[in-house]
Amino acid sequence: MASWGSRLLAAAVGGAAAVLVLYPIAFLIQASLSVGDPQARPPEAYGLGNYTDLPRYSHIFGNTVLVAVIATVVAIVVGFVMGWILSRTNVPGRHAFEQLMALPYYVTPLMGALAWSLLGSPSGGFVNQAWRAAGGSGHLIDINSAWGIAWVMALFEGSVAFVMIGAVMKPMDPALEEASQVLGAGRTRTMLKVTLPLVIPGVLGATVFVFAEMLGSFSAALVLGLPNRFYVVTTAMYQLVSQYPPRFPTAAAMGVSLFGVMFVMIWLYRRIVRRGHYATITGKAFRPRVMRVGRLRWGLFALCLVYLAVAVVLPVLTLFSASVQRLATALIPARANLTLANYATAFSLDAVRSALGNSLLLGAATATLGVGVMAFLAWLIYRSRLPGAGGIEYVLMFPQAVPRLVFAFGMLWAWLIFPLPIYGTLWLLLIAYLTVFLPLGLRTIAGVILQVDRSLEESAQMCGAGWGYRMRTVTLPLLRPGLVAAWLLLFIASVRELGASILLMGPKAKVITPAIVESWFSTSTELTAAMALLQTLAVAVALVLLFTVARRVTQPAGE
Amino acid sequence: MPAKASIEVRDLVVRYGAVAAVRGVSFEVGAGEHVTLLGPSGCGKTTTLRAIAGLEHPTSGEIRIGGDVVYSGAARVHVTPERRGLSMVFQSYAIWPHMSVFDNVAYGLRVRKLPSGEVAERVRWALDLVQMGALAARSAAQLSGGQQQRVALARAFVFSPAVLLFDEPLSNLDAKLRAEMRIEIKELQRRLGITSVYVTHDLEEALAISDRIVVMRDGVIEQVGSPAEIYDRPRSTFVADFVGSANLIRGRRRPDLEQEGLVVLETPGGLLVHGSAYGRHPGAEPLFSVRTVHVRLTRERPAAGARNVWPARIRRRVFQGDFTQYQLDWDGRTLVVRSASGDPFAEDDEVYLAVEPRHCVLLEDEPLRGGPSPPG
Repeated sequence: MASWGSRLLAAAVGGAAAVLVLYPIAFLIQASLSVGDPQARPPEAYGLGNYTDLPRYSHIFGNTVLVAVIATVVAIVVGFVMGWILSRTNVPGRHAFEQLMALPYYVTPLMGALAWSLLGSPSGGFVNQAWRAAGGSGHLIDINSAWGIAWVMALFEGSVAFVMIGAVMKPMDPALEEASQVLGAGRTRTMLKVTLPLVIPGVLGATVFVFAEMLGSFSAALVLGLPNRFYVVTTAMYQLVSQYPPRFPTAAAMGVSLFGVMFVMIWLYRRIVRRGHYATITGKAFRPRVMRVGRLRWGLFALCLVYLAVAVVLPVLTLFSASVQRLATALIPARANLTLANYATAFSLDAVRSALGNSLLLGAATATLGVGVMAFLAWLIYRSRLPGAGGIEYVLMFPQAVPRLVFAFGMLWAWLIFPLPIYGTLWLLLIAYLTVFLPLGLRTIAGVILQVDRSLEESAQMCGAGWGYRMRTVTLPLLRPGLVAAWLLLFIASVRELGASILLMGPKAKVITPAIVESWFSTSTELTAAMALLQTLAVAVALVLLFTVARRVTQPAGE
Repeated sequence: MPAKASIEVRDLVVRYGAVAAVRGVSFEVGAGEHVTLLGPSGCGKTTTLRAIAGLEHPTSGEIRIGGDVVYSGAARVHVTPERRGLSMVFQSYAIWPHMSVFDNVAYGLRVRKLPSGEVAERVRWALDLVQMGALAARSAAQLSGGQQQRVALARAFVFSPAVLLFDEPLSNLDAKLRAEMRIEIKELQRRLGITSVYVTHDLEEALAISDRIVVMRDGVIEQVGSPAEIYDRPRSTFVADFVGSANLIRGRRRPDLEQEGLVVLETPGGLLVHGSAYGRHPGAEPLFSVRTVHVRLTRERPAAGARNVWPARIRRRVFQGDFTQYQLDWDGRTLVVRSASGDPFAEDDEVYLAVEPRHCVLLEDEPLRGGPSPPG
């Protein structure tokens, strides 16, 4: 029977993907149990020593929780307020703002951290300079503190929280609130008794999700915390691995602990989301009821502007200003200080050029391969009725619970001993990207696949079309817009990946984001700013090119 | 490919894990015949249809189309849907939104690699038949529900399949359009003469378009027969109740009073009801089914000597447009009667009701239905 062949293939691909995910995690756990010579592999002896030693680092765990809690609270408040303003009030320019809310995600925490470091470092930060010039003493803000790190992280995660909370608020049936009012409850009572309880599961889900992300976040804590020796778990792991002599087992134990906590968080998140799915989404289409807020709307409008200014405009402007100065001493550069030398340097440095080229190449490869593989996997999980599809999905979503740095650590360990000589090459990074972005790609593509009714494929089958013909004429054309979106997401995410790249990139195969971080710590601020902007520009140019091509491709074919 | 093909389903069982959706179903559809699978949701009718289509993988049994085995549990045969030479109209229409109306309909022809001239000609023919000829160039995404339904129909029959399957094709349309499409489908069936299997939970639809109806319940067949047979002579309480509305009359059998082949029951209130057995054997607890439309109400007592005539009082009167529904106090219980609107009866009126013995249908003796029993 033909279906046996496809079943076998499906099982093989599912199994391979599972190995890709579980193999590094197994090595991570193995390393964490090594109590012999920390450099020896495979381990000389096994024990729980590394875990019982962890309390020595309790301050690091404390820092991590402190930063994550502050950042989560701020991000959720931002997300909730923005979600409410943009989906439930008649604030001017609602729809434009909704589109703009994606921008902070594109600015990335790394760029934000670099920019806010320039703005808020206690000694030379532009904000603190201004403060002292205005007669203040000491510093107004300290971006290198736990609060500062959390602030930067929250600004960017705020847009994620907005998307998640907005998704709950928007499709809420206005009749639910109207029913309450018709029955005699006032506005406030309706808000407290109807609106809030309906929204709470979504907000709670977003909170848990954001908190898990914050526990594993890396770049802001690295850029802002390292100069101050303020460590969180991920940066401490990075330090332990990159110092001499490295202490792999301790780092691995930290990683496993973090993984354990995040795993519980993600599990909790999925439970909340599944449970809280009840009333707000009914599948009917309606316009959410928009509240008339009178003159307050201009206040809310200003609030939206402030968020975007702080999260997007200010960081980009700051980096731009720094990149065109000989010495970045002021936010508004003096004319004599202006220069394009930083860009010239960045372009002339072979390392930067090749790193940027490598990143774009890797991004394109990851996205292309990833969309192919993930589309197949998504189809396998959600459409093929393969026995055990649920299990495969669970394994493939695993990387969501593992910070990329921790995952890369497992890969480092795993692929060093793997017979293929890919360690230190771009190939290893490609495998790493494909693995860590599995959940992102799968979720995006699954969303599209689930939207396409199964009967659309079945009716092609009933018309007599075989598998290949069906795929070509019905399934793929219907999925195309979603696949293009997934390609773009994977491309952007790969080009700007830091946590996995920084551990896995070899000296002869550099990529751009870790190169920017290296430059930040070892060369000049101004050059780093130029590099960061060049990266963003390169991504933007690549995207514009792609969009033009994609639009031509997705246009209804003229046959 | 044959123009028409017969279908034979033998001992079909479809199981999802521990749940058996279809538990040993056997029936035949003659070449060119229109058979409807009728039953409430969850009765296994759609699963049976999808098993014939090949979209569902049965657990055991055998399915033949045009004499060829397309599925056999014993011989481990499962022909893929695209090789069965069938066609299907889906409940959701499944019109591809990324194609034009023309391309949607042409799909099955292009799969069969027909020359483009012939494709165009046959698509035009099919679209004209469903009165969509003017919209061929329109994008399928811009169609209304009724138009999508017509395109789905055209797409399904354009390549002259041996069998046409319908999976509740009208359930997403509003009542008026549904009645209209019902007639059009019937007309189309007659014109094309294709063997068809139709699934619905709508009685009127089933009565209107079928040569024969298969009533299903809990994964097994309750009754097979022509629409008139199913309606006039339901076999079980389930069919009597599901197919239209009926009163059930229970009583003690009085063989001493029986004559002319009629069965006589004495109700708990002591009334004598004459009914027809239609070859069935009265069991321990005989039961008559009387359609609500088969009870006549009169103000005057009908001619003396007539059977099944009793006085009763109207308790409720509900005007429903095409008919008026009365609830009558009769024999210490409520009897429901529907009669053409315009009858001059009011609540609390004393009336006579009369039922012809041929309309008191003896139901088959049913063993008490327990949980699902293993098939075979």
